[in-house]
Amino acid sequence: MNAWRLSSRLLLRQGRSGALWMLIIGLGVAAAALTAVTLFTDRVGRALEQQAGEVLAADLRISGRARPADALEAQARELGLSTARLLDLDTVVYSDNESSLFEVKGAGDGYPLRGRLQVADAPGAADRPADGLPGTGEAWIEPRGLRALSIELGDPIWVGEQALTVTRLLTYEPDRGDGPFALAPRVIVALPDLLDAGLLGPGSRARHRLLVAGPAEAVSAYEQAVRPTLDDRTRLTTIRDAENQTSEALDQARRFLAVAALTAVVLAAVAVLLAALRFAEAQRDLVAVLKAFGARGAVIQRAMLLMLLGLVLCAAALGALGGGIGQHLIAEILAGNLQEPLPPVSLAPLPGLAAFTLLLAVGFALPPLAALRHVPPMRILNRSLDQRPRAGALGWLLAVAVALLLPVIQLGQPRLALYVLGGSAVLALALALAAWGAVRLTRALAHRVRGTYRFGLAGLGRREAMSIVQTTALGLGLMALLLLMVVRTELIDQWRASLPDDTPDHFMVNIQPDQADALREELAALGVEGLQVRPMANANLVAITGETPPDDAFTGQVNLSWIDRLPPANVVREGRFWSPDATGEISLASRWAERVGVGLGDRLTFDGGGQTFTGEVTSIREVDWGSFNVNFFLLVTPEAANQLPHQYIASFRAPPDRLEALDRVARSRPNVTLLDVGALVDRVFEIIDQVSRAAQVVFAFTLAAGLVVLLAALEATRDQRRSEAALLRTLGAERRMVRGGLLIEYGVMAVIAAALAVAGAAVVGGLLARELFGFDYRPGVGLFALGFGASVALIVGAGWLGNRSVLQTPPVRILRER
Amino acid sequence: MTREHSPSDAADGAARPLLVAQDVGFHVEAPGGRLDILHDINLTLMPGETLAIVGASGSGKTTLLGLLAGLELPSTGGIELAGTALERLDEDGRAELRRRRVGFVFQSFHLMPSLTALENVMLALEIAGVDAPRPAAEAALREVGLGHRLDHYPRQMSGGEQQRVAIARAFAPEPALLFADEPTGNLDRRTGDQVAELLFRIHRDHGTSLVLVTHDPALARRCDRTAVIEDGRLALQPDAATPA
Ligand SMILES: Nc1ncnc2c1ncn2[C@@H]1O[C@H](COP(=O)(O)OP(=O)(O)O)[C@@H](O)[C@H]1O
Ligand SMILES: [Mg+2]
Repeated sequence: MNAWRLSSRLLLRQGRSGALWMLIIGLGVAAAALTAVTLFTDRVGRALEQQAGEVLAADLRISGRARPADALEAQARELGLSTARLLDLDTVVYSDNESSLFEVKGAGDGYPLRGRLQVADAPGAADRPADGLPGTGEAWIEPRGLRALSIELGDPIWVGEQALTVTRLLTYEPDRGDGPFALAPRVIVALPDLLDAGLLGPGSRARHRLLVAGPAEAVSAYEQAVRPTLDDRTRLTTIRDAENQTSEALDQARRFLAVAALTAVVLAAVAVLLAALRFAEAQRDLVAVLKAFGARGAVIQRAMLLMLLGLVLCAAALGALGGGIGQHLIAEILAGNLQEPLPPVSLAPLPGLAAFTLLLAVGFALPPLAALRHVPPMRILNRSLDQRPRAGALGWLLAVAVALLLPVIQLGQPRLALYVLGGSAVLALALALAAWGAVRLTRALAHRVRGTYRFGLAGLGRREAMSIVQTTALGLGLMALLLLMVVRTELIDQWRASLPDDTPDHFMVNIQPDQADALREELAALGVEGLQVRPMANANLVAITGETPPDDAFTGQVNLSWIDRLPPANVVREGRFWSPDATGEISLASRWAERVGVGLGDRLTFDGGGQTFTGEVTSIREVDWGSFNVNFFLLVTPEAANQLPHQYIASFRAPPDRLEALDRVARSRPNVTLLDVGALVDRVFEIIDQVSRAAQVVFAFTLAAGLVVLLAALEATRDQRRSEAALLRTLGAERRMVRGGLLIEYGVMAVIAAALAVAGAAVVGGLLARELFGFDYRPGVGLFALGFGASVALIVGAGWLGNRSVLQTPPVRILRER
Repeated sequence: MTREHSPSDAADGAARPLLVAQDVGFHVEAPGGRLDILHDINLTLMPGETLAIVGASGSGKTTLLGLLAGLELPSTGGIELAGTALERLDEDGRAELRRRRVGFVFQSFHLMPSLTALENVMLALEIAGVDAPRPAAEAALREVGLGHRLDHYPRQMSGGEQQRVAIARAFAPEPALLFADEPTGNLDRRTGDQVAELLFRIHRDHGTSLVLVTHDPALARRCDRTAVIEDGRLALQPDAATPA
């Protein structure tokens, strides 16, 4: 008989066997969980990517003093990318009554390519997404711009030679540029209007921008093609370069989802391992018969391989289907909570997933199946003549390692994968060792205790290899579930809490030094929370260790501040922060230092209004930009206050019912500008919320995979337990003894697995929190108590339920068993 | 450890049979209707007696053995083992009775593969609640000629050796009655003979009663009496060795 026919017969013959279904279900659920999570994570990832694009209102931006050539735009369009043009300039805008400095944006068709403008139809009215852009002759203006010009909606304003009508209030621009620190109010007009305003003469400070967006591959192809052709006065920015609070939150969101996906991977791997072991075991009798009837070992091996391939195909197809439906459900559930529709499903991850299923199956199932060729035909006469296959061949490890590598590559989060998978591997090792030790210990102990205990403890020893595999599998499964629980609840809660309740939602800028003290008192009287008032000087960087600095957006005009001690949300990475009475020292944010190419020991000279400050860089800081604190790239020692003209900037959280009063405080000083960044803070909380909801749904999927692991683990030894129970009952053991033995056996296993799983989840959770999410995670007592209790109850309970049939086994079965 | 019987029990307690089956019938509900497997079985076994049960394959020998040992209950009639009516006991009660009175030897040995020969025997002694299972198990294994293979696993032994371990496991708790279902069925002639010899030696040395299901006429002839099952009915063949 050839291998094809044999394998198809083998498969057919096993239609009724639980082992076959267990393996198909194990592989199928593994594939489905991973498919759903990966497809969904990929979708959300792309959605987040697009949201990250909001920072630029595009995926890529080319900007310069000169207008980017039309060729650049044509090139982008050839690649199927969408484009839009922008023109930004600072100019004085006039109304009938007043004039004021504004940041004017001329928006070309298509702007914004990412994100949306938000507008309101009246001061104080709720805002809504804008459809389109200001038409010819229209201007949309920031609410504070109305105050600055003493006008109302519908009044005319002049930008250069253009007369425009203010038709809407602009409440949100995705690419607000300088963030909340922009001093001047903003106005947005149609690009042709601004081009015709007569403001673009020589010496104008206008900045031209070309926005580009589209599929990630096309964008990066475009970036590679274009970047080398740009001169050094033209700057190309991608979302990777953009850093602000929103992108930071988005980054963390992606990491949370990746953790969820990885835990699903770990569970899937464990489920497949258990199912495969059981399947291979179930094949042994069959193979003995085949051999007894004269089948050659090589044919059997080939047949097993073919059978496995068939199974993998079925499981992968089922998994892809189930996963596709699953991710669709997830998206449906979330749809109501999402601001914008998710991008369509991409099939790109599917081949990788199929390969994952195949490798997992091959890695875990093939070695025991291949070992079947060595089953002695004598087994048919006497089962005890059959030597068990030996575990731990190197071949397994390779296939499994490659299998696990795939999702790591797909998720593109190597460090995070290292923590989750590495943590799992270490835990697996610890579990296996602990289980091995426990088996040894119980063997010794079994001889010292009596009755039921001896049975239970001896039960662990009787199935030494299986006990170790089961404990390891259960522990890993539990850790994955607990880890997800940690991520879902504690990590996200603590992340949210790491943005304190007094996260500033208002900034007050352009406060003159002689106004600072009085304002501080008035704000405090209003009951604002988290008030910080920091000095800020706008200066030119004129020299780096005696040399002229390169022309870069990061040099030229910079904002710097001084302080006598390290501000919150800052960590010194290199050097030491100065003592309160130090002078002539500078501390740089690492990003700025890297960008400009400055390090410890360099001397920087700043010029502000003819006065200069020179200092030496003595420390490099890591700044948590996500904290919404007022942070500065450049900090200098306090004596700079006497050398550089400066103003103050205040940040605080305003009580919602004191906004009117706050407005009056700001208006009483014409130079002071009040900025409401509440919308930005809300945006970040919204992202956190979305992510926690997504993680919750993914959690359900992972839970399903976890339950399969549990079932597979219990199923793996059931036949053996049944025979054993029958034999014991025949020898006269009471049911209580068999039951007590089961409980003790599972109890020991549960305690080991749960204890290590809880510890593993706490450690890995802590690592993830500190290294990747940037806050200190304190595992709650809840995790320990609840996680441990629930785990033990789950294992013992499931072991109990899963083995009811064992207890019901009629002893007479032994007479009919071969 | 005390036992209530000895080879002399047969003499003093002549009036008390060890095993009585009265009008025993067994049927199961099958998809095609009721399936009658055994009818009107009557038989009595005195302490120290040996009984062979013979019959064609599928005639109901194994079923009868299971009923006599209290592994399941008959559909009709009653069985009394060591003076106790089995139908009056629940499953655990019957298990307890087996633990104290009954040993088993199976056609396919049924040793636990992960336990050594010694541990397999000790397991039965532990279930029987013997205080010092190790010396008793060692003694039993020496008695079946396996004193040098105590720490060997079943897979390291031949079929005959495995069956000898099974026999040691069966008689080590010193049961009054030993059931054997085709104990030589999986063994070649010579090995089978050795195993049979061992069973009868244990019967002689320990006064254990034997109920032996077999195909082998020679083996049946060595028993005190032979019962033939045909179509689920029992025909006791009178034998010269039957005690009066
Ligand atoms: N639980 C059962 N359900 C259906 N048929 C049974 C059951 N137990 C035994 N039998 C049938 O009863 C008959 C006697 O079986 P068995 O006692 O094993 O015979 P023997 O041991 O003499 O070969 C067989 O035909 C068998 O198929
Ligand atoms: Mg039989």
